[in-house]
Amino acid sequence: MSAPTHVVVESSAALPLVTFAISSFSGAATDPPGHEGLARLATKLMRRTGGGLDALELDARIDRLGAALSAEVSPSTTTLSGTVLSRSLDALVDLVIDVVARPGLAEAELDRIRRETIAELVEARDDDRGLVRRWFRRKVFEGHPYGRPTAGTPATLARLDRASARAHLERTFASSNLAFAFAGDLSEARAQEIANRIATALRLGPRLADDVTEPTARPGRRLILVDKPERTQTQILIGGLGTHPHDPDHVALHVANTIFGGTFSARLTREVRSKRGWSYGAYSGLPIDRHRQAFTMWTFPKASDAAACIRLELELLEAWRRDGITPEELAQAKSYLVRSHAFSVDTAGKRASHQLDEIVYDLPAGYHSRYLDEVRAVTLAACNEAVHARIPERDLVVTVVATASELQSELQAAIPGLEHTEIIPFDSD
Amino acid sequence: MHPPAPAWLAELNAAATHWGQVERLPPVAFGPALEVERYRLANGLEVALIEDHSAPVVAYHTWFRVGSRHERPGKTGIAHLFEHLMFRETETLPEGEFDRRLEEIGAENNASTWLDWTSYTINVPAESLPLVVGLESERMSRLVLSPEIVASEKEVVANERRYRVEDDVEGTANEVLWSTAFTCHGYGIPTIGWMADIEGFTAEDCRAFYRTYYAPNDAIVVAAGDVTPRALVELVSRAYGGLPPAELPIEDVHPEPPQTDVRTRELRRPTPTEKISVGWHGPAMGDFDHPAVSLLAEVLTGGRASRLHARLVRELEIATDVRVFVGPFRDPSLIEVSVAARPGHTAEELVDALDRELERVRAEPVLPDELERGRARLELALLSGLETAEGKASTVGFYETVLRRPAGAFERLEALAALGPSDLLRVARRYLRADARTVVIVRPEGTPGDATTGDGEAAA
Repeated sequence: MSAPTHVVVESSAALPLVTFAISSFSGAATDPPGHEGLARLATKLMRRTGGGLDALELDARIDRLGAALSAEVSPSTTTLSGTVLSRSLDALVDLVIDVVARPGLAEAELDRIRRETIAELVEARDDDRGLVRRWFRRKVFEGHPYGRPTAGTPATLARLDRASARAHLERTFASSNLAFAFAGDLSEARAQEIANRIATALRLGPRLADDVTEPTARPGRRLILVDKPERTQTQILIGGLGTHPHDPDHVALHVANTIFGGTFSARLTREVRSKRGWSYGAYSGLPIDRHRQAFTMWTFPKASDAAACIRLELELLEAWRRDGITPEELAQAKSYLVRSHAFSVDTAGKRASHQLDEIVYDLPAGYHSRYLDEVRAVTLAACNEAVHARIPERDLVVTVVATASELQSELQAAIPGLEHTEIIPFDSD
Repeated sequence: MHPPAPAWLAELNAAATHWGQVERLPPVAFGPALEVERYRLANGLEVALIEDHSAPVVAYHTWFRVGSRHERPGKTGIAHLFEHLMFRETETLPEGEFDRRLEEIGAENNASTWLDWTSYTINVPAESLPLVVGLESERMSRLVLSPEIVASEKEVVANERRYRVEDDVEGTANEVLWSTAFTCHGYGIPTIGWMADIEGFTAEDCRAFYRTYYAPNDAIVVAAGDVTPRALVELVSRAYGGLPPAELPIEDVHPEPPQTDVRTRELRRPTPTEKISVGWHGPAMGDFDHPAVSLLAEVLTGGRASRLHARLVRELEIATDVRVFVGPFRDPSLIEVSVAARPGHTAEELVDALDRELERVRAEPVLPDELERGRARLELALLSGLETAEGKASTVGFYETVLRRPAGAFERLEALAALGPSDLLRVARRYLRADARTVVIVRPEGTPGDATTGDGEAAA
């Protein structure tokens, strides 16, 4: 057994706490079609049955140590992370090894998680913001793994069993498929020793190849209206494909987006919130993943302002692409990004997290450490070219949670060049 | 007895204005490794500092001792609306300039309002602290409150209310619970305000509120991070030393009489499942019983191994989620349990299962292991919140504002360590009474008994 390849350590004795993460290079995007929810269900099952213990007993032991242990699945990664009072670190590591290397995977617990997940899917219909996000993602990435439901659906969950969960975990938590990060009240040598202990307990196995293809944009402007009764307010996400960390214009686009909708004084907030009072929040975003992610504009105006708000957002988007940004805006954004960077690295946990992200998301080498220099070097021309090349104007998904009978025609009229409208009942899945 | 003043303080006072004279107050230990330095200006402004040079940042927070508890019927929500207005325009900063300047220096900037207080939080790279101190003193005394600004910010707040309450089932249930449980104390007023009141505010209402409550003697400045006491106090004395204190009104507080009945409210909403929120009148944050109630709450709902989660979510499988909230307020407030039913299960099943578990904690002591787990979880939560300068400033500011005890968080840990099973038995019997509580039931529209349409709300 060789030592783990990827171990990140950021020591700090500021508090008697240790945080850690064990991240796998694969996530829900590997769920086979028709078996969506596998990665999430299997990971939950692993977390709850470590060492063959009953889930309640395992949780009680973790609580008693002054620790928290959670498991998260994203499209590209699976992460077991925790925080523990440093006096209990060794005892927690024993439990972590039980979880990742010796999960009982009890059938009864699997069935229980399946029933819980189905109930949670129903409960999630209460959350309008969650609804708009879910349907936006599904439609922007329609036919791509990023568009598939991470939690699964009742139909796909019914197909999952203990054997498929076990096989998934053996692949995902094989030692070569993992990266480790530690931060806080421990030395580098201690962290390395803990990583070795955990890796030694795991089965050997290769790093899984990422065979997810790059998403492609579906042409045209589409309105996705998630129909929910009695909405006094709408939730609106407008966008399409966004940035890839390896794009040569990735940092320039990030700077340009800061100007458009990344801060409280950005164009979107100024026009939608400050001048018109239409929405409590108005932001644009460019999240990153191992493959190209989405560009989004998010607002939530009252129902009677929704059409006008969409019209304004599209006009602002078009002006951004057409006219670009100004030198004054660029100077302000660069100053903000460079100086606020202090808050991205002000704790050991954040610094370790940056390094871990670089590894598991396959970010360009020095993605975080070179960030400040790259922001400083961005030019006006580079920003404007990046916006023009990457920000979609024609291939857009406009997703709205609203009461369709009251707003459908108004919303359609607010979207020039609209090619397709789809109405989805809020409780359709 | 006050500690000896350092030599630099005498130098500072020699050059300071009348209201900018600074007095040093006794420092307070903040856990095993840190200390809260405390000062007070002659105009009443209090200053607290945790000096911590682990990162080149400073959290600079301003807490005003005014919240929605100070409002009156017809004018609810003004403390929160005012929080929004503080970001708009001052006599020297035109619209948008306050945020633009803070962004230019890379600052994080936010605010919040609750029942007892309003807090403004700015986290800034250390070298730019002087600008932040200047901006905060500017908006404490020279805010512009024009009818146009007030009108547009009312629209924003109305939209925030739609987001948090009108179109949010949990927010609606919470508002009904508190406004039903409190009959006269200001805690029955929703912090965001009733919609009609928000729509009715005038610029003059806002100016009157500003003149009344936004004064140095109603505020505390809390800083944490990469700054020395001398540097901070010099900045604060210079920036705020021209502001006189205000004559603060005596609060017209109405203590809530004991609740001796069960109040039930039933709502119909477009929601997929039934839900309950149950509230009992509980202790004030500074009450001897408050730590015991918090520990009991951990035993009941802290994590998946807690009693209510284990019983309602895991064993009976009638709920998707169980949560408890113990009001962290200056006056006695509510202990609140919220449960969402799984599809096919009813609010009555939830209430029944909840009652059985509460009967258990009233009838027999909790186990030593449950106490140990609850204490460990609370200790972890406290320490996890202190990683950043922001977390330290928020913790000191909260405890100083509510309890006037800047190190209250650590004092609370000591109190938790001293609690035994009999303490939890006592508070369970004292507060979690079956015959004195408020119950809000939310049912999906279209379920049996639904005689209402849309906004139906029936008292039972």
